[in-house]
Amino acid sequence: MADAPHRENKVIDEISSKFKVEGKFQRERRIWVATDKESLIALCEFAKGLGFEHLSAISVTDWPGEGTFELTYHLWSYSERILLTIKTKIDRVNPVIDSVVPVWNGSAQIHEREMHELFGVEFEGNQDLAPLFLEDWGGPPPFRKDFDWRDYVREREYDKANERERVYWD
Amino acid sequence: MVKQETKMKRLINAIWIFNWFNSCGFCELVPLVGSRWDMERFGMIITGTPRHADVLFIAGYQTLKSIRRAQIIYEQMPDPKAVIALGACTMSGGMYWDSYNTVKRLTDYIPVNIYIPGCPPRPEAVFEACMKIFHHVGAVPPHGRKFAKSHSG
Amino acid sequence: MSEKESIGTEQIEPLTEEETEYDFYFGPAHSGSGNFGVKLRVDGERVVSARADPGYLHRGFEKLMEYRVPMQNAVLSDRLCILEALNWNLVHAEAVDELTGVEVPKRARYIRVLMAELSRLQSHLIWYGVISLALGFDTGFKMAFGYRDYVLDIFEFITGGRVYPAGYICPGGVRRDLPEGYQEKIMNLLGQTQEMMEKIKDFSNIVFARRAKGVGVLKMEDALRLGATGPVLRACGMKTDVRKDDAYEIYDELDFDIPTEKEGDAYARCLIRDKEMEQSIRIVRQILDRMPEGKVREPEKITPPKRVKIPEGEVYVRNEIARGEAAIYMRSVGEGEPYRVKVRGPDFLHMIPVLEHLLQGSQIADVPAIYWSLNICPADMDR
Repeated sequence: MADAPHRENKVIDEISSKFKVEGKFQRERRIWVATDKESLIALCEFAKGLGFEHLSAISVTDWPGEGTFELTYHLWSYSERILLTIKTKIDRVNPVIDSVVPVWNGSAQIHEREMHELFGVEFEGNQDLAPLFLEDWGGPPPFRKDFDWRDYVREREYDKANERERVYWD
Repeated sequence: MVKQETKMKRLINAIWIFNWFNSCGFCELVPLVGSRWDMERFGMIITGTPRHADVLFIAGYQTLKSIRRAQIIYEQMPDPKAVIALGACTMSGGMYWDSYNTVKRLTDYIPVNIYIPGCPPRPEAVFEACMKIFHHVGAVPPHGRKFAKSHSG
Repeated sequence: MSEKESIGTEQIEPLTEEETEYDFYFGPAHSGSGNFGVKLRVDGERVVSARADPGYLHRGFEKLMEYRVPMQNAVLSDRLCILEALNWNLVHAEAVDELTGVEVPKRARYIRVLMAELSRLQSHLIWYGVISLALGFDTGFKMAFGYRDYVLDIFEFITGGRVYPAGYICPGGVRRDLPEGYQEKIMNLLGQTQEMMEKIKDFSNIVFARRAKGVGVLKMEDALRLGATGPVLRACGMKTDVRKDDAYEIYDELDFDIPTEKEGDAYARCLIRDKEMEQSIRIVRQILDRMPEGKVREPEKITPPKRVKIPEGEVYVRNEIARGEAAIYMRSVGEGEPYRVKVRGPDFLHMIPVLEHLLQGSQIADVPAIYWSLNICPADMDR
């Protein structure tokens, strides 16, 4: 379609005119926008006003080398048929960020609850961050990069001296 | 005086099963109830409560949360009883061997009588295992006295 | 009085005049799905509030994928949702293909869509069987699971596995070509499925209409707010489908409709399920007519996965599986294994926010009908 790249670029231009962001056009129907932590809520409300009413997923990526957590919010617009991803970085030692529940309600609330349990990120404004999958888990947030599962499992379960279990230590 | 084993063999012509399917077991155990692999012709039916069951099917990998419930169900079943473990992941962790939340050695939690390997095991394998239960019944001690001593500790 | 002492009721605190609510746990040993529990707070026969209790199947899939290379992940991705293994295989393969930038051959694309639609058909037959069991319609349960076995025979003929195809749809195409004689077998299968739907259509509609109408009504604004997708959203009146809006593989070349209903209750979802099965059959017939010749994988030789690296980048791939919108976010830094894989399944939203919302205010006797009409799979939710 002749004007397909125009639609996506128009959305990036509209966002860039109001906020300080780095926009990227990846392919048809996929655009990525990186912003800072403070303008996240205002940008999310603006995006919802543009038609991005479906929050598909919230994800956290752990960058221990840089000392940050990178959060990605994937939004889909039924009317424009474009997927907009908003990326932002927060500090890894004290991970706190505003919750987007006032904007997207129920779907945001459950995604944030899962990320809180698995990564340890605090979402301010989310009332219900009770444990979701794990019962009586006393260890660190399991999906962080510094918690190596293979070491953990080998220590607890597999005996290196045993002939048959040594294969798990390779 | 008829021996206890012979008595047991005469009594057991049908086994009543309680299913504890965690995920993967569901897709290969429910067709067993259906009309193609009809298990009722062998005398096996599924009960809704552990109190009526002879055999506990543990089908599918277990996590730390679900193995506690499986233990409660096992304790509620009356003697004599048997446990069948289905699938590679149930027996030894399988392809989730490096997951922090799955159970790697099922016998640490529940005593198992028969293992069925496979991912998932075919219905024919499940039938063969159930046939073996009938032979195995001779080895199950009467009134479960031996069981109580060696396993509930 | 002396009768009370003999059965021990003096140990239970009796409800006073003011207290009428009590807690009631539904699950986790269900007959129609994996393990999942719901805590209900009940007042007489009416449910006041519900709280989902997930986590019985949590393996930590996303981090398991970080330890394995893409060809190994292709086998692991079958088990993301056990009831539609080939659909999740496809989502993962598309994510890796987009990162590596490989051009998947045309024949491979057609085979992928063929397997995905057969898997959708099989998944809807499970849905049919399970909700029939919940509504007390035993004939429907036996027929659906009986006819589903014919689809599993086709899977075994083509991929080698009845339920898990061992990563048949892998990054780059499919693992091996279709064997001789597949057209006739698949045409037979389609005829059999249509025959089954004709046989029980008359009385199944009566059963579902009488027992599922008006139960679990979901309004459109609630569905959008709580993140519902797929048949649950289409039953509320929204005409949307990832295969049309965000077309992937060869869906833009195929001709099919998107059924919608307006009421948003359990009966509307049942009608949508039946119509979607017909549309899947229509798509499979078109694919059988148009199947092109050519290679089935790019590159043809599968090299041992030791030193093949995924180029750096990030992608977000969306697909329409039988239950709704499935998506994978994959981030790679140039190593052999992906750096982060985030799996978004439709059941995560359906089982927690949507279910809690629908159960509020319903009757206890309707809880199974609402629960199974959402077509849930706990494996997808817990991952």
